[in-house]
Amino acid sequence: MTTILLGPQRFTTTVGATVRSLGLDGPIAMINSGWEERESEDAELAGHLDGRGVNLRLHHRMMDVLEKDEHFAAAALLFRDRQDELRAFYGIRLQAAIDAVQAVAHRSSLHAIGPVALESAVEAVRAVDAWYAAELDDLYRSVRATAPPDESGTIGWHRGEIGAVLDGCAGVVIAGGNVRTLLRTLRVFNVEIRPELPVVAWSAGAMALTDEVVLFHDHAPHGVTAAEVFDRGLGRLPGIIALPHAKRRLRLEEHDRMSIMARRFPDHRLTLLDDGTVVRFPDGATDLPAGARYIGLDGHVAVVGAA
Amino acid sequence: MSPPQRLAVNRLRESLPLDGPAIDRFVTRFGSPIIEGERATFLYRGDVDEAWVRHRVVGLPDPLPLKRIGESDLWSVTTVLPEGSRVEYQIEIRKGEHYERFNDPLNSRLAHSPMGSSSVCAAIGYRVPEWALFDPEARPGTLVEEQIRSKALRRDQPVQIYLPARFNSAQRYPLLIVHDGTDYLQFAAMKTVLDNLIHRLDVDPLVAVFVPPRDRLKEYPHHAPHARFIARELVPLLNDRLPLIDTPEARCLMGSSFGGVASLSTAVRYPGYFGSLLLQSASLVFTDIGFDHGGGPAFDPVVKFVNRYRQRPTAVVDRIFMTCGVYEPLITPNRSMVPVFRHTGMRVRYVESRDGHNWENWRDRLGDGLSWLFPGPQKFVYE
Repeated sequence: MTTILLGPQRFTTTVGATVRSLGLDGPIAMINSGWEERESEDAELAGHLDGRGVNLRLHHRMMDVLEKDEHFAAAALLFRDRQDELRAFYGIRLQAAIDAVQAVAHRSSLHAIGPVALESAVEAVRAVDAWYAAELDDLYRSVRATAPPDESGTIGWHRGEIGAVLDGCAGVVIAGGNVRTLLRTLRVFNVEIRPELPVVAWSAGAMALTDEVVLFHDHAPHGVTAAEVFDRGLGRLPGIIALPHAKRRLRLEEHDRMSIMARRFPDHRLTLLDDGTVVRFPDGATDLPAGARYIGLDGHVAVVGAA
Repeated sequence: MSPPQRLAVNRLRESLPLDGPAIDRFVTRFGSPIIEGERATFLYRGDVDEAWVRHRVVGLPDPLPLKRIGESDLWSVTTVLPEGSRVEYQIEIRKGEHYERFNDPLNSRLAHSPMGSSSVCAAIGYRVPEWALFDPEARPGTLVEEQIRSKALRRDQPVQIYLPARFNSAQRYPLLIVHDGTDYLQFAAMKTVLDNLIHRLDVDPLVAVFVPPRDRLKEYPHHAPHARFIARELVPLLNDRLPLIDTPEARCLMGSSFGGVASLSTAVRYPGYFGSLLLQSASLVFTDIGFDHGGGPAFDPVVKFVNRYRQRPTAVVDRIFMTCGVYEPLITPNRSMVPVFRHTGMRVRYVESRDGHNWENWRDRLGDGLSWLFPGPQKFVYE
């Protein structure tokens, strides 16, 4: 099982060479539902795959399901509304917890209370993250009970088609785009990528392969400024948090801020995926390979294997 | 440090001979106004007895007299103009007993408003925001014209409803209600602004309803039928017909000048029904003692309303985004209202600009305001 995470492909396109390097024999499944209504504009991507790409058309299929299965569509809309509300409350609590961490971090301490207070403040952020994740699990349980995707004839039909296409493919590529849409389609159609099938993914696609999808944008004009736990991905790369466009989207030079982010997720490697990056996980490996860049607990960018 | 360069107009003064061809060359080369660092030189050329720059910049003399250069027919005046400033103005002349006022013939840059057009003087550092200009890459939303029968107003009220690009009835959208809606569309390019900000993921896709007044001076300063129309007729109707997020947090009222008063007074009449306000140069005139506000009869109901609110300020929404130009007379009341609003517990973001009471100022602040009130989905997109 080989998994390769790439940097963004818009300006530095490496997907073609990367897939060729795998020496695959057969069609390559393309997942680009994160492009939403532009999903069908895949000619350039297919070209990089030497014409072997087969688009799973997950976004198109989702639109079909929402149109044909009213019961599921209503449940999906309700789920989205409830998740939006959950995210709004999570954002309020998270921002307050992060503000507390920063206030504690900047307070001088003469009697060694500061580090203890800081660790406790970071723990409070983790508690807010955990609360959100637990509530989200409840939401998923609720929607599965109300409108089980397994009982939808339309979803079942699409799942069958998707499974058949995947069975005939020698590899999978997952493109970027809107990570919420991408995850939603992967989840509804229960896309299971066989362990032996090589996968090449970038940007939102890379995030979807992990077990913890974290949203981040330090330069967004407004809104919650802290990174936000969003959802679980496919879990093919546990222990990795993928950070595409890290140089462009994160204030990497603010080491205190980056340190807090890393300490929020002590069981994960915060992996930087900038232009030109290639992170290769061969033969089922899930540890970051030598040369991969990540944010260390001290808030500095570190390189695996560097002295 | 290099010595400050002498102004172009002063170099002209000293050049000889100062004849018609020399002035022709000068005017052709520089036009008007001439921006040199933080100074602006206005020019007028003509056989007149007096000439002035007319503007409404608080702090500068208005009218601002131009002086004839030598014996020529060229007139000029230089004034300070801080970086980032933008000023709308006209030229006024007197010839004998005849006065005339018009846009600067030497300046092709114009701004438009319901009152007509004005010339624009943009200081060093001022740029029209990119998102205010047509972007062929941005998918356009659609505007739908409607007539809504209003019992409160006892008439049919025209509105224009903006549906964002890729509008999908399976989604839910926040609602923005825009006072002076037709003017915002015409003079503040608001459809273009919404298309661009949504396309850039700075602003969440939203539904906006643009509402023009019929009798603005009557309906906008604290008018019960207007508030009832907005809160009890318009919003419920839109909720029935469109996939809107039916919560206060997702409902925003906005307006400029008297439209700002209409927004605030509607929220005061229906506290908690709207989640946010976007107030631009709101005419929040008040008096601390007596009632001599100096605004004329049109401001009487405004001052009564604002005075009453200031006596017992309450939180009527969750968040307010306020903007005001530092060159307009309303800057003092707007600054004064910020702590009053904040004291109630409402979150207030207040932005000042080096501009006046005009539509392009309000247009230029929309990016900041709308992205604060309706943060876009940037965090979801990783291309």
